[in-house]
Amino acid sequence: MKEFQPIAARPAPIKTVGFTAWLRDNLFSSIPNSVVTLSVIALLAYYLPLIFDWAFWSANFTGTTEDACVKEGACWVFINAWSYQFFYGTYPVEEVWRINLTLVLLVMVIAASFTLPKSIRLKASITSWLLLPIVGIAILDGRWLGLEVVSTDLWGGFTLNVFMAAASIIVAFPFSFLWALGRRSEMPFIRSVSVIFIEFFRGVPVLSLFFMGSVMLPLFFAEGTNVDKLIRVWLVLIFFMSGYMAEVFRGGFQAVPSGQYEAADSIGLSYWQKILLIILPQVIKVSMPNILATFVMLFKNTTFLLIIGIPEVVQTLQTALSNSYWLGGHALEGYLFVFLVFWGSCFSMSVLARRIERQMNTDKRD
Amino acid sequence: MTATNSAADSQDVIVIENLNKWYGNFHVLRDINLRVKKGERIVICGPSGSGKSTTIRCINRLEEFQEGSLVVDGVEMIEDVKNIEKIRRDVGMVFQHFNLFPHLTILENLTLGPIWVQKKPKAEAEEIAMKYLERVKIPDQADKYPGQLSGGQQQRVAIARSLCMNPNIMLFDEPTSALDPEMIKEVLDVMVELAEEGMTMLCVTHEMGFAKKVADRVIFMDAGQIVEENEPNEFFNNPQNERTKLFLSQILGH
Repeated sequence: MKEFQPIAARPAPIKTVGFTAWLRDNLFSSIPNSVVTLSVIALLAYYLPLIFDWAFWSANFTGTTEDACVKEGACWVFINAWSYQFFYGTYPVEEVWRINLTLVLLVMVIAASFTLPKSIRLKASITSWLLLPIVGIAILDGRWLGLEVVSTDLWGGFTLNVFMAAASIIVAFPFSFLWALGRRSEMPFIRSVSVIFIEFFRGVPVLSLFFMGSVMLPLFFAEGTNVDKLIRVWLVLIFFMSGYMAEVFRGGFQAVPSGQYEAADSIGLSYWQKILLIILPQVIKVSMPNILATFVMLFKNTTFLLIIGIPEVVQTLQTALSNSYWLGGHALEGYLFVFLVFWGSCFSMSVLARRIERQMNTDKRD
Repeated sequence: MTATNSAADSQDVIVIENLNKWYGNFHVLRDINLRVKKGERIVICGPSGSGKSTTIRCINRLEEFQEGSLVVDGVEMIEDVKNIEKIRRDVGMVFQHFNLFPHLTILENLTLGPIWVQKKPKAEAEEIAMKYLERVKIPDQADKYPGQLSGGQQQRVAIARSLCMNPNIMLFDEPTSALDPEMIKEVLDVMVELAEEGMTMLCVTHEMGFAKKVADRVIFMDAGQIVEENEPNEFFNNPQNERTKLFLSQILGH
């Protein structure tokens, strides 16, 4: 009988090597592709120097007033002069460490969710995430900690966008999960309440919700109670976000095979043990890309707060642009700055989300 | 909690009487009667759609039924959540598609039940888990995730996961149907070993070699009812019913 002879593994043949091969494959693989490549190069060759010239070579970097903008390029002095307001609004300068401290806490909680030892990571990070909004409010407002009270009228700038988005997402997350569970419930009352809630907040423009929060909501409060405008807007963001996220979670629930429920039942787990230990982690894993998309959407939607006069970063920018000492027309620099700040934050969130996805991906063989 | 019916032998761990089940208007289980003694090994076979999986899924109440009674370990299965969870702890189940929890390591899959349901300390649960992983011969895979294991290994982990709960009864729902031929044997070996130790087992399977080797009784189902039941030798060599003969000729004929 013949013996089985395994053939030794060979490395895969490399078809293309080197820079020219890469160029041929990616940029000049056909005549139309070559035409497109050459036109793009031509456009870049024409515009890039102009852009660089405007942004750097002919730009103004030094100075503190409008008078410093002497060269014809961008006037970054404008951004520089207003940077405090863009980031912190009108928060008192001597108290600004409180905003920075809150930001540091936010970053620390994010970092802790990745770096803590696995045995305590889940409990510790969930606890710190849920505590974060309360601690943040306590630090920023100050009255619970015996610090000088900083009224919410003074909060503003890009940090307000960040805080509003973060605080809404953290609170909305568990709620949206409950709404999604409710929508799948077999109990008709719970199911219909969930469906009505979700469909209402998904079917109404967020702008009208903001107006409702700022103008109509106070009409429902008892006479004399005055709920802070930011808290009302916060509630609106939470409801809006949890309506959207509930649908994201519902998609995730549908992706978990029924065998997972059956296996959890068959070892005798209770309903909540089954949901929290078996189903939820898998739901979050499959929903991660959509969760991120919803986060980013909400974060960018915080700029709509300017409509109801909350001095978030775009509102602050408009105040700066209409300031009588800065009438030199710096809208381009200003909006470019806002673009970059938002793009930078959203891009970091994507990078972070991709890391989480990789961490949760246990399907691949190693 | 109600006592077993008076007619039942005290040794009967499962007593099914006149069980009927409908999916909507479709009558899937028709007058099922079955008694299983402690330590008995029963193989259920039959064509697909005959209700064999549904029958064993009724035993740990993964399926509800509309008529009849079902007593497991002296506990009547009625619509009482407490009872159901108690029974589920005593009845282990192995599924066709393994249904391991993909986000947990093998060890975590095994310790989940002991820790959360039986409230055992983590160290003790891990000790039990490792004991059963050794029994199914894959202790070295403890820290991997289910997706990194072969189908046969996953099914052995699934068996170990059930055993960690120290069940009185094991239900197997076509445990080898989703496996490659070379992996079927490693799973069957574990099941044979379990049978030899005296575990009460109900297996829905088409592995007739397994049935001949370990079963005390073979049950043939078709169209939602029990057509024939007999000890394996008689069942295979001398089937009484035409339908059984036809089925056996089809699955043994090649």
